[in-house]
Amino acid sequence: MQPCSREMQAMNSLLSPTQQIPLQDLQPNGNSGTHQAQIHNPQFDPTSSHDDFLDQMLSTLPSCSWSDLKSPWDPPKSDETPPSNHDNNVGFHYDEILASKLRQHQINGGGGGTTAAMKMMMQQQMMLPGRPIAAAGGGGLTMPLHNDIVDGSSFKSPNQQGGEGSVQALYNGFGAGSLHGTNNQSPNQPQPFHHPQGGNMQTQSFGATAGTVMNQSQASGSTTGGAPAQPKQRVRARRGQATDPHSIAERLRRERIAERMKALQELVPNANKTDKASMLDEIIDYVKFLQLQVKVLSMSRLGGAAAVAPLVADMPSEGGDCVQTTAGGGGSLQRNSNGNQPSANNDSLTVTEHQVAKLMEEDMGSAMQYLQRKGLCLMPISLATAISTATCHSRNPMINKGSSSNHPLLQSNGDGPSSPSMSVLTVQSATMGNGGLDGSAKDAASVSKP
Amino acid sequence: MMNTPQQVKNPSSSLKSRFITRFLGALTKITAEDPISSSSPTRIFQRYRRIKVASNKSMAYSVRSRRIWSRAMLSRFRSRRSAFSGRRSSVKTTNCTTSPPPALIKVTINEKKTAKGGLDMQTDELRELVPGGEAMDVCNLLDETAHYIKCLTTQVQVMRKIVDFYHLSK
Repeated sequence: MQPCSREMQAMNSLLSPTQQIPLQDLQPNGNSGTHQAQIHNPQFDPTSSHDDFLDQMLSTLPSCSWSDLKSPWDPPKSDETPPSNHDNNVGFHYDEILASKLRQHQINGGGGGTTAAMKMMMQQQMMLPGRPIAAAGGGGLTMPLHNDIVDGSSFKSPNQQGGEGSVQALYNGFGAGSLHGTNNQSPNQPQPFHHPQGGNMQTQSFGATAGTVMNQSQASGSTTGGAPAQPKQRVRARRGQATDPHSIAERLRRERIAERMKALQELVPNANKTDKASMLDEIIDYVKFLQLQVKVLSMSRLGGAAAVAPLVADMPSEGGDCVQTTAGGGGSLQRNSNGNQPSANNDSLTVTEHQVAKLMEEDMGSAMQYLQRKGLCLMPISLATAISTATCHSRNPMINKGSSSNHPLLQSNGDGPSSPSMSVLTVQSATMGNGGLDGSAKDAASVSKP
Repeated sequence: MMNTPQQVKNPSSSLKSRFITRFLGALTKITAEDPISSSSPTRIFQRYRRIKVASNKSMAYSVRSRRIWSRAMLSRFRSRRSAFSGRRSSVKTTNCTTSPPPALIKVTINEKKTAKGGLDMQTDELRELVPGGEAMDVCNLLDETAHYIKCLTTQVQVMRKIVDFYHLSK
């Protein structure tokens, strides 16, 4: 008894007040139901929410309407066919019942225009094999289905949205709810038909007829397309499965995760992996890459070519990719592909020195760029000496520019990856320590990675 | 890829335009305070940090609180700011691997049990990357990751355009 009423309750809670109206009215004590206030509001006007209402009606009614409708009718309606006559012909009785209720609802001032379609729809639905009837009391209709199989989160949204989203969510709820109800009803009432199969049959045929009915109704095209497919999919998914609530929830969860993964696949390049694990790896790498790019770009935003290298030390060597990609953009970030600088003999060095000096007089930035392109860097003399003593395996002559000296000295780092980074770090720490030394002069200590 | 920053769907309210507005404002402020050529490496380094933070912050503000990751990022900024101002709040900053609150630990554990074994490592890694990811279940995590990737690409695009612009103008 409870499951059916729960379905009913769930459905009513899922439906916006607009759509909850007809069911309420279809019940004999509908006017005294808890949803009365909600339902008999002027929202149910045929004009605006007409189509939405129809869709939802069509979608929701078949799954649980008759059973729930039956239950409140049992006590008060003596003139109706008793539920014990229950067999597959029960639909026929329902047809009459619903028709009468429908008329009643019409009288109540419900949507006039919808009634014809509703009636037709209900008749069609009634042709379905009767759903298991539970002697459910017409209890509080506000009980949500969340304590049932499907998680409540998907149910929350229909309360706010109308239309397709809610229709689909309702199908979610109903598919689960119906099966659950089907199972639980067996101990409650002696039913001539088998519940699981019957439930499945019903839901399937419900899907079929609902499809046809939807097509006949004035439903909006999208929901028409979506809604009939939905119950069919749901039914097929559940058909051979145990109606274990946990497995259903599991399946829903997995589906949702698969959806998200698909969306991510479109965002991430090189997403042709079918394997979940490798896909996740790709995603992770891409996120890291993007974060790194932001870092690098914010460095290059500093405008000039100066002081990139101390910051380059900040990044691991995997930044090579992004450095190359931004090579066009950030001139200061150009990776020196010159490789290790050969031990510069003094002549070429002096030539370079002069050139750099010339450039420096004009524009610091271009001077820095020139240096960088050559794979050279600039640093205070004191620092250079410190570094040369620290990195004793440095093969290249260390040339420094003093802060006040007029001889620009160039240092080339031809060492392996370890020492540049070390020297860079020492440069960084040294310059940070010797803030006063650099303060006035125009020099900047920049070490470029070879 | 859009070609110009102005090519947005809805110029007044799209994420990209909001981000651009904020970021350019922050950038001009930073460049005004810190002229480039006369900076010491220390200042330059600080400037870089400020720009990076400004970029991330602009993006997070443009997203407002609509996303979990942006909320986490904003709270991170605020706590960092309050820590700087001397209050020494204990909330840690980047990529914290703090365990999620107890109520959510159960969720994550269940998720891991049911997920394939090899995916746990990656989901953990993803959690570290995406701000606020520690306290999300896998489903939301993937969702947030998608949005985060989208925002990051926007950030990178805009910044690259700006860099190109500066580079060309020199």
